[in-house]
Amino acid sequence: MAKAEYKSKYKRVGQRYDRKDAREKVTGQAVYTYDLELPGMLYARCLLSPYARAKIVSIDTSKAKALPGVRAILTGEDSDILVGLYMQDKRVLSRGVTRYQGDVVAAVAAEDEETAERAISLIDVVYEPLEPVHDVDEALEGKILVHEDINELKHYVGVFFPQKDSNIASWNKSKKGDLEKAFAESDLVVENDFSLPAVAHVPMETHVSIVQADPFSNKIKIWSSAQSPFAIRQIMADSFGVSESDVEVHIPYVGGGFGGKAGIHLEPLATLLSKAAGGLPVKVRATREQEFNQLPTRAGMRGRIKTAANKDGKITAMQAVYDWDSGAYADYGVNVGKTAVYSGIGPYSIENACIDSKTIYTNKVFSTAYRGFGHLETHWSIERQIDILSQKLGIDPYEFRMMNLLEPGDKTMSGEVITESSGNPKECLTAVVKEIGWTGRKTEEERQREWKTGKVRGKGFAMLQKAPAMPANTATSVVMQMNGDGHVKMMIGAVDMGQGAITALSQIAAQELDMPIEDIEISAQIDTRSNPYDWNTVASKLTFLGGNAVVKASHELLHKMKVIAGQVLRTDPENLLHANGEIYHPHNPNRRLSYKDIALGYMYPDGSGIGGPLIASGSVVADGLTNLHPETGQGNPAAVWTFGAHAVEIEVDVETGSVTVLKVASAFDVGQVINEKLIYGQICGGVLQGLGSALLEGYKFNKDEKLMNPSFTDNKIPTMKDMPVEIVPIYIENPQHNGPLGARGVGEHPMISVPSAIGNAVYDALGINFHVLPLSPEAIVLGIQSGKKSILCTDVDCLPGRL
Amino acid sequence: MLSRFQYFKPHNLNEAVQYLDKEANSFVLAGGTDLMILLRRNVINAEHIVDIKALPETGVFEYTEGTGLKIGAAVVVNRVVDSEVVNSRYRALHQAAASLASFQLRNRATVVGNICNASPGADLPPALLVYDAVVNIAGPQGTRQVPLHQFFTGVKRTVLQHGELVVSVELPESGEGDKSIYLRQARLRGHDLATVGVAARVKPDGKVAIGIAAVAPTPLRLFALEDQINARGLSQETIEWAAEEVKEHIHPITDVRSSAAYRLQMASVLLKRCLLALIAKED
Repeated sequence: MAKAEYKSKYKRVGQRYDRKDAREKVTGQAVYTYDLELPGMLYARCLLSPYARAKIVSIDTSKAKALPGVRAILTGEDSDILVGLYMQDKRVLSRGVTRYQGDVVAAVAAEDEETAERAISLIDVVYEPLEPVHDVDEALEGKILVHEDINELKHYVGVFFPQKDSNIASWNKSKKGDLEKAFAESDLVVENDFSLPAVAHVPMETHVSIVQADPFSNKIKIWSSAQSPFAIRQIMADSFGVSESDVEVHIPYVGGGFGGKAGIHLEPLATLLSKAAGGLPVKVRATREQEFNQLPTRAGMRGRIKTAANKDGKITAMQAVYDWDSGAYADYGVNVGKTAVYSGIGPYSIENACIDSKTIYTNKVFSTAYRGFGHLETHWSIERQIDILSQKLGIDPYEFRMMNLLEPGDKTMSGEVITESSGNPKECLTAVVKEIGWTGRKTEEERQREWKTGKVRGKGFAMLQKAPAMPANTATSVVMQMNGDGHVKMMIGAVDMGQGAITALSQIAAQELDMPIEDIEISAQIDTRSNPYDWNTVASKLTFLGGNAVVKASHELLHKMKVIAGQVLRTDPENLLHANGEIYHPHNPNRRLSYKDIALGYMYPDGSGIGGPLIASGSVVADGLTNLHPETGQGNPAAVWTFGAHAVEIEVDVETGSVTVLKVASAFDVGQVINEKLIYGQICGGVLQGLGSALLEGYKFNKDEKLMNPSFTDNKIPTMKDMPVEIVPIYIENPQHNGPLGARGVGEHPMISVPSAIGNAVYDALGINFHVLPLSPEAIVLGIQSGKKSILCTDVDCLPGRL
Repeated sequence: MLSRFQYFKPHNLNEAVQYLDKEANSFVLAGGTDLMILLRRNVINAEHIVDIKALPETGVFEYTEGTGLKIGAAVVVNRVVDSEVVNSRYRALHQAAASLASFQLRNRATVVGNICNASPGADLPPALLVYDAVVNIAGPQGTRQVPLHQFFTGVKRTVLQHGELVVSVELPESGEGDKSIYLRQARLRGHDLATVGVAARVKPDGKVAIGIAAVAPTPLRLFALEDQINARGLSQETIEWAAEEVKEHIHPITDVRSSAAYRLQMASVLLKRCLLALIAKED
């Protein structure tokens, strides 16, 4: 792969350090929740609803109870607990009705998994199947309500807006300017539908939780494969009516999250089972099939985009309606929907705009956060629409975007003003377009000529933007202590689930303290009793917020060291500098002390000491954010935007429909690279995951809303063999003035817009606009055979994810 | 897994056949890559598992000039992939074997298991069919031979009777000037079941054989189409014609993996590409 050598202006930040957890992981020494066995531990299995929507007429557990080794059996009648991040809409066990074909109807804890499974097979349930809500259109009609009690559901008031007597879990809105006037006065108005199916996160370690909760106290001890230890603590305390301090959450190594392990999932069920089993620890582990059909997905989505532009190429108005098929429960889905109202017109300066984003209940597998948090989906709509618009205007798609992209002084959808410090979308686009050698769209003549060879090449590109979707007062913190050997022991509350957080944060500490990264120790294991608070490990926010906390703590530690060193060296601490693990006097460098000498307090030759053990902390809260206005969506939701662009070159086999991805060039304005090896890994992984959404992945439901592909047999994800021939990462470094060393987050971004860029390249190759994903070989062939120039859901019968 | 079974590993064929005959609810274990899935998903409830890997007959993997190739029921797919004889004399079988599932699974899955599972979309049958493979069956009534094209009776169904097992599969001699190819379409480059798989062979006398999978309840040998092609003579023109005509000889369904329409198109494209490759001048 052709990749320019990256040179950092810093000594430690930007350098290509190996991941701190790499050796432990590749040698198999890393311990995951999956591996944990506790004394007396029981194993759980769940009985899932076989129907998308059914009345539970009766449940007979007597045969299961009689099985030796069974220690607890629960059904919906045994618990009143409702859970939910923003909407408390989910019973831990179904009561009365089931809402999707993965709803838990009964659960067993037994002495081994085999007994638990056998017990499950002995539970007799009589169901009365009910007509399910199949898709978003049916849901919006509201003839059948997925949640009859929607009007009473407890929710986060003022941020989410459930609609009375409907299937709308939240309807979020934003608007600015005069849309009607702009549509009436513009030269061209184009309206299109775009859609994409639900997809799975597919972490290598499926969801697994162990809980020990005795029935005689409020204490709940949790070990979980989860992204959000402190959110689990808070939600568990809320749902179970106990104090946060009663709940302790341990996170060992996590085998991948991708958003699917944000919030809480199996913890409440394990808690109820442990209590029912007299307080023995209970392990609930999702099988791979359950990971697909019980645990949540990325929502399917339909975007309806209406855009107006003038002949000269200026976009004058954009109206977007996003309908999210969130399945049976709201979970993170409502927040994904909310995020779309401030990011859902893409990184463009558009004076008149309006977004309606509805998170909708249906009787399908429910949805949650997924890498990109709705941005892959909204950009699929926006970036295809922009391309189609440029076709209609007869303007080159690169020129067209350059005319409309945000620049300093412009306002975002929610009215924030872009500055030099916000990063530069135009620089990203220009870089990738140059990398693929873009010279304009293929002519129809060129296309026909290539078609005869059986293979047609195409180029395409797409913009992307994302800011962390988080509450206005999101906070994080770190604690630093120094060991006697001068090493710094750092504790954070965020989880390293493979993204490289502990390595990146160590590098920032090593940079600020000017000491070797090998001497920074940071544990990936989190224990809420000892680790400091972090809101959630989501949203690509940790490098930014956590990095700032590390900078703060480092500065505090340095200050404390200089105060002690000042006494020892008999000077004002202000006179002292630090370098390579030492405090020194710049005028007389012989006056110096190593960090080690003051780590536990300085000891004079006569044995007396000063200072004591060095401890410092850094707390950070998001700066200057506000909630959005409920009607206009105006406000400051974004702590930090990261802009980027992808450009691709593909080759389509016109007979088989197979798409070969020859090249992907990806540029992100990251402000400052923290670790070149990590960011390169994030880009390669994100691009491949994006190609999965673009070319391959999608849930397929039958007419009864039963998931037809709940296993790796038919729910495929890309493999190493599906990597593009070439990936070119491009790092743009316009520093963010309030970022740690100028840095922005980039964890999710590499996946966003990959499908849009591929879709635009497919148009370049074939002259056909696909409005649906995935662009599978089958979809391409049937699209070609249809003879149409625009392919919608209804045009090809192979497409999954009918919304 | 809810099954609770007796595991039995016989050391001679008689023992195996007698056990299978005696115990009604028995399943044969070779690679286990299909069997384990059925057990773990509780699709079957097995009381007896008969491991046939210790039978001397099942370990045979030999090529004899003039007679052909014999593959015992315990021979794993990667052994076939690695075989120089298969690669040079039974090219389509090599290609089909190399495209089956993943490397790890090929280290476990057996060639005969791929036949016995009788999946409509199995990769190996098309290649075995074009080489006129014969299945050697042992049972309580002794041994019998069944041509592979008569072995499959439906989706996941074969001619095997109670107490019978497949001991090996034999492919007649394939000599100089015998050419074959296997092509498949899948949903991705990484391992996947074939959406459609096509094997074609041109014998030294110029006669064509075609095997195809995932377009009917069983893998098919397209004898009628072969006759028509052979009558016309294999040429660019005939190939174009056959690529259309093949659609009349198959009955694909729409399922979670593919629509019938796409399978028809792929059968046509892959057959065309197979035959074109076979008539192309060698490098």
